[in-house]
Amino acid sequence: MKRVSLVAVVLSVLMSLAAHASSSPWEQPARTLAEEIASILGPGQAHLTIRNLSTIPTDQIPAIRRLLEQDLKARGVLSSGADSANSILITLSENVRERLWVAEIVEGNETRVAMVHVEPPIERTSTTPESIVLRKERLPLMLNNLPGILPGDALLAAVDTSSGMILLRPEEIGLYASGEVFWKGEQGADMKQPRPAPRDARGLLIRSSDGKSFTAYAAGTECVGIFMPPLGAGNGPGSWTFQCHPSDDPWPIAQADPANPSTGIKAFYNAARDYFTGVVTPSLGVDLPPFYSAAMLPRPAGAALIIGGIDGKVQSVEKGALKPITGTRDWGSDFAVLRSGCGAGTQIIASGPGEAVSDSLRAYELPALEAIPASASLSMDGTVTALWTAHDGKSVFAVVRKAAGPGSADQYEVDRVTASCN
Amino acid sequence: MLRQVAISFLVAALVIPAAARTRPHYGGTVRVEVEGDPWQRPGGLARRLVFDGLTAMSADGTPRPALALDWKSENDDRRWQFRLRSGVRFHDGSPLTSPSVVASLVAVCNTNCPWTAVRVAGSSVVFTGDSPMPNLPALLAGDDFRISSASTNGAGGVVGTGPFQTTGFANGVLTLTANDSGWQSRPFVDSVEIRVRRSIHDQWLDLSVNRADLVEVPAEQLHPARDQHLTVLASPPVTLLALQLSSSGVLGDPNLRAAIALAVDRGVLFNVIFQKQGEVTASLLPSALTGYAFLFPTGRDLNKADELRGSITPPPLTLAVEGGSALQLAAQRIALNLREAGFTVQVVNAASASHPDLRLRRFSLECSQPSAALESILHAAGQAVPLPEQSLAATFKAEHDFLNRNILIPLLYLPRAYASGGRLRDLRFAPDGAPDLAQVSLEDAP
Repeated sequence: MKRVSLVAVVLSVLMSLAAHASSSPWEQPARTLAEEIASILGPGQAHLTIRNLSTIPTDQIPAIRRLLEQDLKARGVLSSGADSANSILITLSENVRERLWVAEIVEGNETRVAMVHVEPPIERTSTTPESIVLRKERLPLMLNNLPGILPGDALLAAVDTSSGMILLRPEEIGLYASGEVFWKGEQGADMKQPRPAPRDARGLLIRSSDGKSFTAYAAGTECVGIFMPPLGAGNGPGSWTFQCHPSDDPWPIAQADPANPSTGIKAFYNAARDYFTGVVTPSLGVDLPPFYSAAMLPRPAGAALIIGGIDGKVQSVEKGALKPITGTRDWGSDFAVLRSGCGAGTQIIASGPGEAVSDSLRAYELPALEAIPASASLSMDGTVTALWTAHDGKSVFAVVRKAAGPGSADQYEVDRVTASCN
Repeated sequence: MLRQVAISFLVAALVIPAAARTRPHYGGTVRVEVEGDPWQRPGGLARRLVFDGLTAMSADGTPRPALALDWKSENDDRRWQFRLRSGVRFHDGSPLTSPSVVASLVAVCNTNCPWTAVRVAGSSVVFTGDSPMPNLPALLAGDDFRISSASTNGAGGVVGTGPFQTTGFANGVLTLTANDSGWQSRPFVDSVEIRVRRSIHDQWLDLSVNRADLVEVPAEQLHPARDQHLTVLASPPVTLLALQLSSSGVLGDPNLRAAIALAVDRGVLFNVIFQKQGEVTASLLPSALTGYAFLFPTGRDLNKADELRGSITPPPLTLAVEGGSALQLAAQRIALNLREAGFTVQVVNAASASHPDLRLRRFSLECSQPSAALESILHAAGQAVPLPEQSLAATFKAEHDFLNRNILIPLLYLPRAYASGGRLRDLRFAPDGAPDLAQVSLEDAP
């Protein structure tokens, strides 16, 4: 077997988006690898071979080769013919996390190895226009990069306030604010849940109209957050106080006025499961089945409560009667109301059916007891695990879980979805 | 894009089609069938469901808190202190304490452990080592180090702290019931029934008549399973098939071990016996994990093997094999390969071989952090190789140096696969390809 030794230097090359914008993404890793090769080989000639075992498009290989040759030349290593005594085999490889460029430097019977990590660029997604057009905007909040949040930690809900973003997680609530470079945790509190959060944990965040207080609900617990303004000029930006306590109180699930929970309906949540029990207050004059989601939809003769039962049926509660809604075969478990101003003015935004890697959202109108699609499906980048109406009613927020497995943790992101009329 | 490719592959392989998505339902019983022992280490399904480790492995390969709430290291990772989660109880109601944890760890590992000593320190457990142990939190997530109580429950079953507890074993069916008062969230399903020692043929038959929800599909039978239109859920390659060589006796000669390594024909094993499933490897870690597996050549070189053997005519060697028919066939093929290189090899059953010269073994890839995964495999092979650094470069160097000794000859990386009925949803795999039944739910749950 050939003697192989490794130069114990592996450098991570983190390619920022800014770097992408200004130069080739391969410049930095090529330069770093050339430095490593030159430090092993010293000035001289070597035959350079490049092979691509990665997903880098073939048409980019010549550019990478040029960069490597230039960088090697600048360090005194000249590319030569195949009859050279020295050879450099560079393999563009990758694993599930990152790209890896490996140089095998052969001098006689000795082979030495150098490696450079290359982080993959972040891709952007786009949406497709339609009649009522849904658009999504990812909040600039890389949840798994936030301090104190482990990869795979779930996000239940989020709401923006006057001083940052409140994030509700299964066992903790926290305020995060954007810093100069990264989001940072400002304040947090234990949710003080009396028992472990259930699998498929859910939660709800309701903020006041001025953004200076909120109430958070999760299984078996309730938290109130109040913003305390600074006592005087020059005394800092103020702070939040969080008070959490075990609670079986019902959650405000549907409001005629999103900023005013007292105008709506509250429902008791089964703290050991992932659904509402069907008991609501005030009573609607009819027994409701257990349900996952609910939304208040304006009707000419008054508002209707739309519920998505745990049996998959979507029903409307109007005037003390429970009536099935047809056309909901393609609905998932989550929906929310959107006041787009288009068409009938208000639509239901529903998640898609099936256990989808790429879930979708679609707008529906319910002129009677049939759901009629009002937009094309908006593809999401994972499974929608929570959906709620924004404070102003003009957008909905979706928590999207990007499923992963061996090699990578689930990722959560928050998307704001808005509609425009065509 | 890499991440997206990985995710797409994974989820495409794992997700079961469903007519309409609702949130997961609670309730019902999942019926699983296995060919082997559900308590086996590693990878036994029951072991995963009943016992917890001090740590658990996140999907991204980093250890996360389980029975230990947090941990810290001192003295250059030579001393680790794990603080236990308070209020945890075993299924029999007895509290989890640091003495019970230490007793459990000592019972499963008293020699050749990743640590030198483990002891009680108040409500913590302290591990000390002669050399740095940077991978200890990851290793403690492995099946070898799950915590059990010394007692048994009323049904005579073993007692752990996990999401399910044993409630019965009758007529070849092990019944596990959801633990309502565990430290973790309650599972979605009420119970799991595991029918053990069931042949693959009978498992598939039971699946076809809706008597089972999840059955095994050996890697070499993935094609037939798909031909029979089974809903197959296959993991990425996570099971290493390797030849383990004794370093004493006649194989104490490193040249003979090197000759054996060069004489094995991985291509035939891959193409013929395992029906082109998984990947050929001469590396202990799969390519997807490291990206450097190509640095270990997989080719056969009989001339070089002859040259290394020289004039030595070794006495007959024994090759022990553990596992099913495919492994028996693979062992026979390896024996044939070695005969072509001047070795005489007799294939024997592992149960009847006390000190075989060679063993054909499977190793599970229990975590997806390269350094910890390597250390885990080496530990399973009985090789205490300290890995003081976690960088990919250091991992490559440690692996390269170890493989140069030819104690372990990697052959193939194989997927772990199951076939599922239509009731299951949200089935996912752990990094080693084991199904996570604590997270699964049933479409027809009440």
